[in-house]
Amino acid sequence: MSRALSAKELTALYESTRAAMDSPSPNLDTLRSQLSKLKVGLVQIAMQNSEVATDTSYLLLKRSALELGAEFSVKVGDIPAFERYMAQLESYYFGDNLGLEESKVMYPLIGLNLLRMLSENLIADFHTTLERIDLNQILNNEFVAHPVKLEQALMEGSYKKVWQARAEVPTPEYLFFVDILMSTIRNEVASCTEKSYASLPLDDAKTVLFFSNMDELLTFAQERGWDVSPAEKKVTFPSHVENMRVFQGESIMHQTLSYARELERIV
Amino acid sequence: MTNNEEAASMEVELTEEQKVAEAQRILREDLVRNVKFLERGASESEVHYIHRAMRTTFALRKRLEHRSWASSDSPAVAKALEIAAAALGTSGGKTEGEVKACVPEVALYFGLLEYAKGSELSHALIGVVNSVQRRTVDPIAGRVFFYFSRFYEVGNSLANARPTLLSALQTATLTGMKESQATLLTLLLRNYIYYRLYEQAERLAAKTAFPTDAPNSVLARYLYYMGRIEAVQLNYTVAHTHLLEATRKAASNAATAGFQQTVHKLYVIVELLMGNIPERSLFRQAILKKPLQPYLELTQAVRIGDLAQFQSVVGQYRDKFLQDQVLVLIQRLRHNVIKAGIRSISAAYSRISLRDICYKLHLDSEEDAEYIVAKAIRDGVIDATIDHERGFVKSSEIQDVYSTSDPQQAFDKRIAFCLNLHNESVVAMRYPGRDHRKDIADVNDAVRRERELAQELASEEFDDGMDDDDMMDDGL
Repeated sequence: MSRALSAKELTALYESTRAAMDSPSPNLDTLRSQLSKLKVGLVQIAMQNSEVATDTSYLLLKRSALELGAEFSVKVGDIPAFERYMAQLESYYFGDNLGLEESKVMYPLIGLNLLRMLSENLIADFHTTLERIDLNQILNNEFVAHPVKLEQALMEGSYKKVWQARAEVPTPEYLFFVDILMSTIRNEVASCTEKSYASLPLDDAKTVLFFSNMDELLTFAQERGWDVSPAEKKVTFPSHVENMRVFQGESIMHQTLSYARELERIV
Repeated sequence: MTNNEEAASMEVELTEEQKVAEAQRILREDLVRNVKFLERGASESEVHYIHRAMRTTFALRKRLEHRSWASSDSPAVAKALEIAAAALGTSGGKTEGEVKACVPEVALYFGLLEYAKGSELSHALIGVVNSVQRRTVDPIAGRVFFYFSRFYEVGNSLANARPTLLSALQTATLTGMKESQATLLTLLLRNYIYYRLYEQAERLAAKTAFPTDAPNSVLARYLYYMGRIEAVQLNYTVAHTHLLEATRKAASNAATAGFQQTVHKLYVIVELLMGNIPERSLFRQAILKKPLQPYLELTQAVRIGDLAQFQSVVGQYRDKFLQDQVLVLIQRLRHNVIKAGIRSISAAYSRISLRDICYKLHLDSEEDAEYIVAKAIRDGVIDATIDHERGFVKSSEIQDVYSTSDPQQAFDKRIAFCLNLHNESVVAMRYPGRDHRKDIADVNDAVRRERELAQELASEEFDDGMDDDDMMDDGL
């Protein structure tokens, strides 16, 4: 069992991890071990002395460490870890602020979290989180406004705008989630086109589905079971004629029986 | 001088002093009567006597405000006053002992009457409530908690009330105090929503069951909060059901106007979000007409699908919507406006070019228009196909609704609603036990009592409603 680190050592450890994180080409493995050392240290110090746990400088350090962790998990693409860090940070961001100053990375991280929810299609969580953010920030803070705009475009179906939003990300970290979102969108668009077009010229299909080369389109078409005819240069979508006139015998039977049961109770 | 006043002065020509004395006499009588109800309720464990006393609380409290009730001459009242006064002064163990000596229901009731005294009293009363756990205390305890939470809210520290309320909820659930339980649940939901902790609120609601026999005024509020939570989480259908029920459960009189207005505001938004257009007659109702004006304009903009008008309405009433805490919800309406626009275009044209759609709906580009129309087709908003090469949208033939199972489903929904209503009313009926009859000497007496009760009900304003109104004015 290693000796618990003192507060001073912890701060030093945080500073060095932060510096390593900000360096242009960080060594991810070192970072990971430093981060877990930092977290263990934070817990140990709070366990030894419960008064420290409510100390402003301790809370500040803990918040910074969590933020560092969140940024790190985005960097390595570990979404569940990012979710965990954000859940812990929530009490710092939305609860009463415990006498801390507002964190500089607060809104970028909240924005990232919103984007994560969008990319995982957790629209209800997205809106619940949004309710807790100050309205002025929603409209004016670029970090929050970006996912909000994306969500609106998504709901409307302006997929072009979503695609363009890729170029407008406020920080490069956003790209990680935006790229996940893009593949979701491509599937969305594909299901829309299936229903609304009888056929599409190959070139147009490529632009509509945001593909950069033809091969990608062809594999994609194969996955979704579209007919591609190279001679006509066309994609034909299988037609979905749903027969609405089918007599739904079973459900009507259920309904009628339930009426009979209820009526019997009344009489 | 108006006719009424004239009549009054003609009828009894009393001096000021006599009037005061007369008023005090009536007040005293009312108090004595309520004390009797309370004592009877406590001795016979019959909650509905307590309810009868509670019903006049609000009116009595108003009358009490300017008078002291020291000159009371009934021994029961005098005793109760003494104890209530002691409870008001200190909250030590000695007082609690004294309170127990008297009928706790009576003491609590007088505490309730004097509620204007403030939060200190509310703490003292909660101590008393916790020490006495009897079914007959239940309705009074519910009110005590209500004011307890209200004081915190007015004092702007609602979060601090949470631990007390949570532990009280636990006790109430364990001891089967249905009314307190219902009130506490509602208060906690309000507490969470106040801080926009919708997630916590939802979890609380999911983990608890709202007591079935709670009074309607509490139920209505509970339903409103539930509707709000569900609306935020995009469960519009559920939210819609909750809100509709909330409007129906709330007593419709002048006292609940504030509640009705607040619920209807949210109701309109939810209805719009579901893609429905609220009925015009809703906005014509006297109590709703003025406060719902911005919502009417919003509805009109959504109905015709005019994005520009929609934006201008939102801009114009921004502060109002913000105050009603619906602005974020309204932001979600944008795509409903577009959908409505597409739907009306599709109904009017059998073939229209994408550029025209783009122009009509004030969209940014033709490409956007194409995606939006494609999405509308997939979501089943319209039935059409897009011709990409020639750049137009062609509407399909309108299908006869009666050839589908839609009417069947619509009828099923309505029948289910009616049956549910019937079952609920059966459950809501009260069947008093046989020994209840012993009290009534003869049938005539019973009839007279019933009539009295009916009169009382007709003449008194709904006490609970008044308090609801207080709360709803805050815009939550």
